[in-house]
Amino acid sequence: MTPALVCERLVKRYGDKTVVDRVGFHIDEGEAYGLLGPNGAGKTTTISMLVGLLRPDEGTVRVGGIDVGEDPVAAKRLIGYVPQEIALYPELTARENLRYFGRLYGLPRRELTSRIGEVLDLVGLTDRGDDKVGTYSGGMKRRTNIAVALLHRPRLLILDEPTVGVDPQSRVAILDRVEALVGEGMSLLYTSHYMEEVERVCTRVGIIDRGRVVADGTKRELVAELGGTDRVELTLDGDVTAAAEKLRAVEGVSESVVTGSSSIRLLVAGGRHLLPALLAAIGDAGAVTGVEVVEPDLEAAFLHLTGSTLRD
Amino acid sequence: MRPRPLTALVLANLQRQLRDKVGMFFIVVMPFVTILFVGMALGGDAADAKLPVAVVADTSDPVSAAVVAELESDKALQVRRAESAQEVRDDVRRGELAAGLVVTPGDTDLELVMTQTSGSGMAARSEIDVAVGRVAAVLEATRAARAAGASPEQAEQYVRKAKEESVAVTVASTGGDEPSRPTGFAYTAPANLLLFTFVNSMAVAAALVESRRIGMVRRSLAAPVRRSQVLLGEALSRFAVALAQSLLIIVVSRLLFDVRWGDPLGVGVVVALFCLIATGAAMLVGALVRSPQQAPAIGPPVGIVLGMLGGCLWPREVAGETLGTIGYLFPHSWAMDALLTLSRPSAGLGSVLVETGVLAGMAVVVLGVAMVVFQRRALATV
Repeated sequence: MTPALVCERLVKRYGDKTVVDRVGFHIDEGEAYGLLGPNGAGKTTTISMLVGLLRPDEGTVRVGGIDVGEDPVAAKRLIGYVPQEIALYPELTARENLRYFGRLYGLPRRELTSRIGEVLDLVGLTDRGDDKVGTYSGGMKRRTNIAVALLHRPRLLILDEPTVGVDPQSRVAILDRVEALVGEGMSLLYTSHYMEEVERVCTRVGIIDRGRVVADGTKRELVAELGGTDRVELTLDGDVTAAAEKLRAVEGVSESVVTGSSSIRLLVAGGRHLLPALLAAIGDAGAVTGVEVVEPDLEAAFLHLTGSTLRD
Repeated sequence: MRPRPLTALVLANLQRQLRDKVGMFFIVVMPFVTILFVGMALGGDAADAKLPVAVVADTSDPVSAAVVAELESDKALQVRRAESAQEVRDDVRRGELAAGLVVTPGDTDLELVMTQTSGSGMAARSEIDVAVGRVAAVLEATRAARAAGASPEQAEQYVRKAKEESVAVTVASTGGDEPSRPTGFAYTAPANLLLFTFVNSMAVAAALVESRRIGMVRRSLAAPVRRSQVLLGEALSRFAVALAQSLLIIVVSRLLFDVRWGDPLGVGVVVALFCLIATGAAMLVGALVRSPQQAPAIGPPVGIVLGMLGGCLWPREVAGETLGTIGYLFPHSWAMDALLTLSRPSAGLGSVLVETGVLAGMAVVVLGVAMVVFQRRALATV
């Protein structure tokens, strides 16, 4: 079967700076793939090249077997793209916005009205479809943004941070919807700041850092790379930066990063046995008020691979 | 599935325009308020209102008497006699008179009193010119007859006969002209058409800036369409608004103020070319400006200054030669000349070929530059 998406050795440079450096991965038909990376890692630039908005300096992208560089119009027809920003006319209603995109994608006139009804129903906005988008909450705007991408029945759905600025209720609704679409056989590329969203929705994950894909595999494969390394979350009152510095020097600690004004995350080989040594190392730098040792997970794998947390 | 990007963009943009209440006020209401007030100030319906004129003359002198008689027979003027040149000057300065004429017996130079800046003064001057010209023609003809050997009585007889014939001719021609006599609105309607079409085109560019800012242009380009189609769709949307603005002013001014625009083909071509230039200007603003608030802040001042130079706010003669010449660097002056020429009864597209050519050239240049800039600034860096 033709893969839904294959990209190979994608490169994008701005002046001397290489923003995307030989990025390559593939998504099989019906597979949900997550792209994880810290801010500025090159996720959005990569996606811009995948959807045909940006021409790569090197490398190729194939969507459903069609080369995006050679026949962008045919390739774009297969993609449902949900950008990070809310790309909707605020002075028009959801229905009017959908009608605009329906014409843009060339949906037959006869079919358009009923299809708009379907996608509005799909994102749960049937009764607000005739209100101006400018009056919507953040979550409703996001859902409309997704409805636009589904309008022309794409084979591959690309969601770039679809839950940013969304209330918890809408977030659950969006994730449920995306899961259901994948269950129905839709291929998916999903990027997010939220590890738990990617863990829930995606079967395979690529980790991108400083423009490169540093790891690619199922959640189990990525976590296995950590071996016996545990994740330790420390909460303390005091100078977290100094404490993190001291902890890094302890033997067995492979990563030590500040995750908040009073929290530190560590990757520790044989975590539970090293706890006394860790607490001793902090010394005067702060008073530890909480310790949690977590079995290896995606969050730990991410820290191991990139040396940073997702949300910094 | 055949994408319909042009239909999609034009319909969505028109829908957005109709929802913009302030924008619609400036497109639908403002032009007519301006045409009404400026039109009334410039003399409104000149067929009703006569231009007040005063004459200082000694009617015992036959030449002076002839001039006064000619002026009094002019239907456009309301003539009164004044005692002194000083009195006339004072009244003209106060605006009570459109113009004044001082005739000194025996002197062939007549003194015309008027202010430089008044439209009614200009109108009165042309009427006085005609009257004095007639008297001069009679004197010249009499002298010619005498020189050819006729006695004074014979000469007078010949000239009176010739004059009667010429009067017959004149009556016939002015009689035919009467319904299309230009009113104050004949000037302000085309002037405001150009002014508002241009200013509003620049102001609606705000919607284009907004489309860029919220990522709408970028998102539209992710659809199975070509860049050139999105560019064309955006340009076509602005052109439709400009054309709608112009048509609205033409139709309403015709119905409300009885403005005769002239040859439909000529007016259509001139207005369409001007709308293309306005579209180019709008696309330039749309590509260069960063925030949607900047477009309405930049557009109208630029549009108003160009309108001033082009004679859209007051007749260009008033502004003086230097400003008038500068005005010809911009489309308003050329379009204004073309529309005023076309409003004459027998004028057609052939009478405004030069103006049309210049406007077409400007349209090509402005649109060309705007397309390149928009392509680089708004489409390439998505």
